[in-house]
Amino acid sequence: MATVTLDNLHKAYGETVVLDGVNVEVASGEYIVLVGPSGCGKSTLLRCIAGLETITAGELCIGGKRANERAPRDRGVAMVFQSYALYPHMTVRDNMAFALKVAKVSKKERYAQVDEAAALLELTPLLDRLPGQLSGGQRQRVAMGRAIVRRPDVFLFDEPLSNLDPALRGHMRVELKRMHRRLGATIVHVTHDQVEALTLADRIVVLDKGQVQQVGSPRDLFERPANVFVATFIGAPAMNLLPVIGEGETCRLEGLEQALPVSGTGAFTLGLRPSDMFLADSGIPGVVDVIESLGSEAMVHVTVGAHDVVVRAEEPVQVNSGDVVHLKLSTVHRFDGTTGRRLE
Amino acid sequence: MTALLLLLATASASEVTVWHSYSGAEQAALEQVADDWESTHPDDRVSLVALPFGGFDTKVDTAIPRGNGPDLFIAAHGNVAKWVLEGVIEPWTSDTTGIAPVGLDAFTVDEQLWGLPIATKSLVLLYDPSRIASPPQTTDELIAMARAETADGHYGLAYQAADPYFHAPWMHAFGAVAIDDDGTVSLDGDAQVQSFAFARRLAVDEGIAPTQPTGELVSRLYEDGDVTFVISGPWFTADLSRPVAAAPFPMVSETGLPARPYLTVDGIYQAKGAPSPELAQDLAWAIASAHGAQTRQDVGGQAVTWTATTGASPLVQTLRTQAETAIPMPTHPDISAVWEAQAYALRRVMRGSASPERAGREAQARFEQLQQKDVVEVSRSPYIAAFGVLLLGLVGMLVVRLRNPELRNELAATKWDYFWIGPAALAMIALVVTPFVLGAAVSLYAYQGGEWTFVGLSHFSDILLSRDFPITSPMSFFYTLAVTILWTVTNLTLHVSIGVALALVLREPWIRMRGMWRALLILPWAVPNYITALIWKSMFHAQYGAINKLLAIVTPGPGPVEFDWFAQFSTSFAANLATNTWLGFPFMMVVTLGALQAIPKDLEEAAEVDGAGYLTRLRHVVWPLLRPALLPAILLGSVWTFNMFNVVYLVSSGEPDGSTEILISEAYRWAFSRNNQYGYAAAYAVLIFGVLLVYSRAANRLVGRKVL
Ligand SMILES: Nc1ncnc2c1ncn2[C@@H]1O[C@H](COP(=O)(O)OP(=O)(O)OP(=O)(O)O)[C@@H](O)[C@H]1O
Ligand SMILES: [Mg+2]
Repeated sequence: MATVTLDNLHKAYGETVVLDGVNVEVASGEYIVLVGPSGCGKSTLLRCIAGLETITAGELCIGGKRANERAPRDRGVAMVFQSYALYPHMTVRDNMAFALKVAKVSKKERYAQVDEAAALLELTPLLDRLPGQLSGGQRQRVAMGRAIVRRPDVFLFDEPLSNLDPALRGHMRVELKRMHRRLGATIVHVTHDQVEALTLADRIVVLDKGQVQQVGSPRDLFERPANVFVATFIGAPAMNLLPVIGEGETCRLEGLEQALPVSGTGAFTLGLRPSDMFLADSGIPGVVDVIESLGSEAMVHVTVGAHDVVVRAEEPVQVNSGDVVHLKLSTVHRFDGTTGRRLE
Repeated sequence: MTALLLLLATASASEVTVWHSYSGAEQAALEQVADDWESTHPDDRVSLVALPFGGFDTKVDTAIPRGNGPDLFIAAHGNVAKWVLEGVIEPWTSDTTGIAPVGLDAFTVDEQLWGLPIATKSLVLLYDPSRIASPPQTTDELIAMARAETADGHYGLAYQAADPYFHAPWMHAFGAVAIDDDGTVSLDGDAQVQSFAFARRLAVDEGIAPTQPTGELVSRLYEDGDVTFVISGPWFTADLSRPVAAAPFPMVSETGLPARPYLTVDGIYQAKGAPSPELAQDLAWAIASAHGAQTRQDVGGQAVTWTATTGASPLVQTLRTQAETAIPMPTHPDISAVWEAQAYALRRVMRGSASPERAGREAQARFEQLQQKDVVEVSRSPYIAAFGVLLLGLVGMLVVRLRNPELRNELAATKWDYFWIGPAALAMIALVVTPFVLGAAVSLYAYQGGEWTFVGLSHFSDILLSRDFPITSPMSFFYTLAVTILWTVTNLTLHVSIGVALALVLREPWIRMRGMWRALLILPWAVPNYITALIWKSMFHAQYGAINKLLAIVTPGPGPVEFDWFAQFSTSFAANLATNTWLGFPFMMVVTLGALQAIPKDLEEAAEVDGAGYLTRLRHVVWPLLRPALLPAILLGSVWTFNMFNVVYLVSSGEPDGSTEILISEAYRWAFSRNNQYGYAAAYAVLIFGVLLVYSRAANRLVGRKVL
């Protein structure tokens, strides 16, 4: 249990800037999920915290003390690598016990701890196998187990669930949550999976191009995205963005005669989540283009003016492709037309 | 008569083939003589074939009996008795008027002349004419002059004192011979012992000569103007840029007798079965006499045996004068064993590890050990029977297996595979299996005086029961085996630890110019190993070697360090070891670098985060993953090292007294410097093969899987 503070952290490989002034404060025992598109610097950030990369500029504090120069093994962190990094010549048991062996914990005690963690991760029958004899998902769990056994102050997870099937992933999510509650450890968890981010996180950090776009609770991010990037990155399907020109009480969308019932002035970007609209008898007119059915609901693509707008609808959907429909809006988001920042 | 001869010659319109091993000016002279002969014999051609010196005699031995030989060949007189015995040459019955008698003597076997002598070579006393006006007449004069010449780095005299060939002039002056006409050898006789003492005085005690002189060192010293007198032959002047004068050997003051070097006489032999003997003889005479001799003298710089040539250079004149007193090199089959024993004594005397008397006694004992025992022919029948039973057993096994229908089906299904591997299998049989089987067969025979005698497994029992030598003697198989094992183990330990350490350092992120370092460190491997071995050999030279120079810098006290690295087993072995480690670590480094690349970086990172320090990571993560790649390399490297002939042969040459010899170089000595005991050497080779076979099987077991 320790706080992790990133103060204006920079990381560059020569000319390539990967992390560009990252500021995040992770409270002790907090579950932080780091999301962002591929290549945005998530793994690099974790490696900086773990001490595997030197920090170019800025300060990293773990447990309130500067840790930039501290050796990895003195940082009290455990990391689950994106590639698992299991020692191929050791059995699952020895893999998991390695850190304890290095720490000179007695054999009996370390195997006891391994057994405990293995039970938690349903690895008990695999303990005597070599990593090469495991499936991808099993390896990922061993990697988790190896981290858990150490009981570190801070866990660093780099996409630990990406190779599991949906059922197991769901199960592991619950396990992670349970483990977090029981160990009370600070966790920084990198993922691509929105559901994972939204269900696990106390707070989510959205990263893009090496910069933090927004830090906040899942609700915050969903309801009050700080900019266009966060708005489209969080929530599935993504938020519809329409360039409009405000005329006081209403605004105009290109290619549409009728004014939209959204107040505003000047050019700005209107954000509409598919779930914040519904099909009605009257409202904004459009023509149905495609319908994607997802079982209990469907995504209806409607051409409004010159734009494609996705609307969530309950199944069974009563309209067909080519029909003229009308949309009603509940919640809207406004973003600055040039900077993309949220307008209140 | 002339018309008849001409007719004959025209009718055959022949080509005369001449084999020789001359090069440079001597070759050019021979070609000119051949051209001149062709211009007087318009219908005939001469085909001169220059063969490498090294394999010349063997080629003569094997080609002529099979009818693939030349009409004439030019070689030294050393093998004449052997060739007479083997019947590969014809006697020379025509006129020899005009040829110096000393040459004719060398080619006379059983009162019959067996070749036409054409040129002589021997050692003479060479000196720097800019420092010496008139050469010494006695050895006391020589020593006095040399002493006056010796001062700070300049020496009075340099010659290869420990080499029997260079020692021979003194030996003869003391009235000793290497071997009598009847084959008696007494290396412990008074005359021999006195000559050893004299050589010791001349080369060591007087302090007028550098220590451990090799031919190469002697040349370099003279070239640099660092020595006044040199004992060497006409070849010495070939690449020399400084003027040099020659004189016949002085008289040895102690005995009042002249120092008489060995004389090597080159002659033309007529091969048995030459198609047109008259024509061949005509050419031979043209080469040996008159105009041919003059050409060889003027163009080739030879000291010819034709007495009537004119205008010889001073060097050639000296060689011809020396030839009159020189003693033809002995041709007795035991001579190589005498030389090995004598070299042994000389090295010990020079080193001071034995008195001349003791060295003489030991040399005599060694000669007697080396001399072939009386070969007892054994009956072949039990061997043939055993071989037959073995063959029958194999065939039986094959038949039993072939009766298994499953196997037959499999064979039928894969018959094309056998067809495809056929060429490779044939090549393997021709290049690997056949030589091996022949070599193994040789080990069942004893070779003596051109005769092969079947002795069965007696070589093996002699070797393995250590019948000829006590087990602690450096000549015994088990002593050499122990040295070889020590050699292999110490080498591999160093190769692997240095190779792995360097690879680990090269991988460190703080290393700049990694590529350059890697290339530099691989370099020792890329240089041919005999060159490296020769360089290291000269670095360990007591007086001029870089190692002693470095030691002089780091050790306190004034004056140079002249430590003799090859005087005791430990340092001699260490010199070999250093050389071979220099040659061997790059391979292990390259293998390790490759294997390290294959270890994912994040494994070490994971261990780092898991709390492991550098050494722990090496031990628990890197090493276990490196091991599978290194084990085959170690197995391979140990087989190479086990048989690393070049280093041992060139660096320590087995010094001191054969104690640093390894099995393979010992086998070589048996085959080539101890009376050509090919059968005994082949038995060594078979035993080496056996040891390596057992080793690699055991190693495979140990590794737990097939790697080789
Ligand atoms: N050693 C390096 N040298 C130069 N650039 C690097 C190096 N390592 C990573 N990068 C770059 O840094 C950026 C961030 O990489 P990082 O691995 O942190 O991405 P990520 O967010 O984890 O992506 P993913 O979701 O695909 O795992 C990438 O553009 C990558 O190309
Ligand atoms: Mg990543």
